[in-house]
Amino acid sequence: MRVCAATARASGSRFLVVLLVSLLVACGQNEPPWELRNISGLMPALDFTLTEASDGATVHGKDFRGKVVLLYFGYTHCPDVCPTTLALLNHAVKALGANADQVRILFVSVDPARDTLAQLKTYAAAFGPWVVGLRGSEADLREFTRRYRVSYGYGKPDASGAYEVSHSSAVYVFDREGRIRLMIGSTDSAPTITGDLQRLLAETPGAST
Amino acid sequence: MKHVLFAMVILGMAMTAHAGQPAVSVSDARIRWLPGDLPMAGYFVVTSHASGPVRLLGATSQAFSDVMMHRSLEQSGVTRMAHVDFVDLAPGEPVSFAPGGYHLMLMGRTQELHPGEAVPVTLRFNNGQSLEVNFRVTGVQGE
Repeated sequence: MRVCAATARASGSRFLVVLLVSLLVACGQNEPPWELRNISGLMPALDFTLTEASDGATVHGKDFRGKVVLLYFGYTHCPDVCPTTLALLNHAVKALGANADQVRILFVSVDPARDTLAQLKTYAAAFGPWVVGLRGSEADLREFTRRYRVSYGYGKPDASGAYEVSHSSAVYVFDREGRIRLMIGSTDSAPTITGDLQRLLAETPGAST
Repeated sequence: MKHVLFAMVILGMAMTAHAGQPAVSVSDARIRWLPGDLPMAGYFVVTSHASGPVRLLGATSQAFSDVMMHRSLEQSGVTRMAHVDFVDLAPGEPVSFAPGGYHLMLMGRTQELHPGEAVPVTLRFNNGQSLEVNFRVTGVQGE
């Protein structure tokens, strides 16, 4: 928007006026920038087949159409970054007030060997009603993570068999129609996230590309 | 003679105390609760008031079978945890153990823990010094 204003002040000749008009048209068409990173069109629509920890049911990506979805990959034996991220997302969603229920935070385990459905269920429930714990077979998980270019790897087990899991830190945001829209990074604050979620929730279905 | 002996005992006690307690202060010590027996993270801010360097070597607690010092690292969008053998404390410069960075990894609960409770954790420093600190157990949101 600042670019548009600067061009208006600089306009003197007929050429610049033409340029200004075309720029204004362009500005009118472009949506204002998002606070979070805009990754619209850079990844496929939300699609997966996984098991929901709360009831053991098979769920698909399309089951979440109508909700704004925050997709995060992690594991329950992660004491620092995963709970910190989930707490941040929860905080941001809670600030939506009555609209919070229009959002789901999908926590997909990248450690299905240790994350049993029961464990994931307890874990997700501890974080609140918007967090959905999801688990898949290794093959399903591999296919899902490959589609969204999510990487993960396992460290060497220690004497007690405990091991660490490295995993992508990004949180992907899908709109109500399941289209990829935004990416939340580790430096984004809760108010920033809340602001962009409000914008996504206010969109009329089919209005945005 | 009696007085001299008494003075020596007092002096000895004072020296023991000096050797045991490092000149550091710890604030905002907390553990974020997680369900079951999942490993939890301990956070705090530690500041050295010693004139020379002080090195934090780790921690122990009766409430856990194992406590390790870790650091979360993010490289090229991937998060991982690294073991930390020690953290050097420069005089007067607070070092934060905080979400997304340094943290204690507390594993194997020896007792049930609930948000709102306090758990004693002993921080170990160089020269055999240690400091017991009460860590407050917070809820999962860190509140």
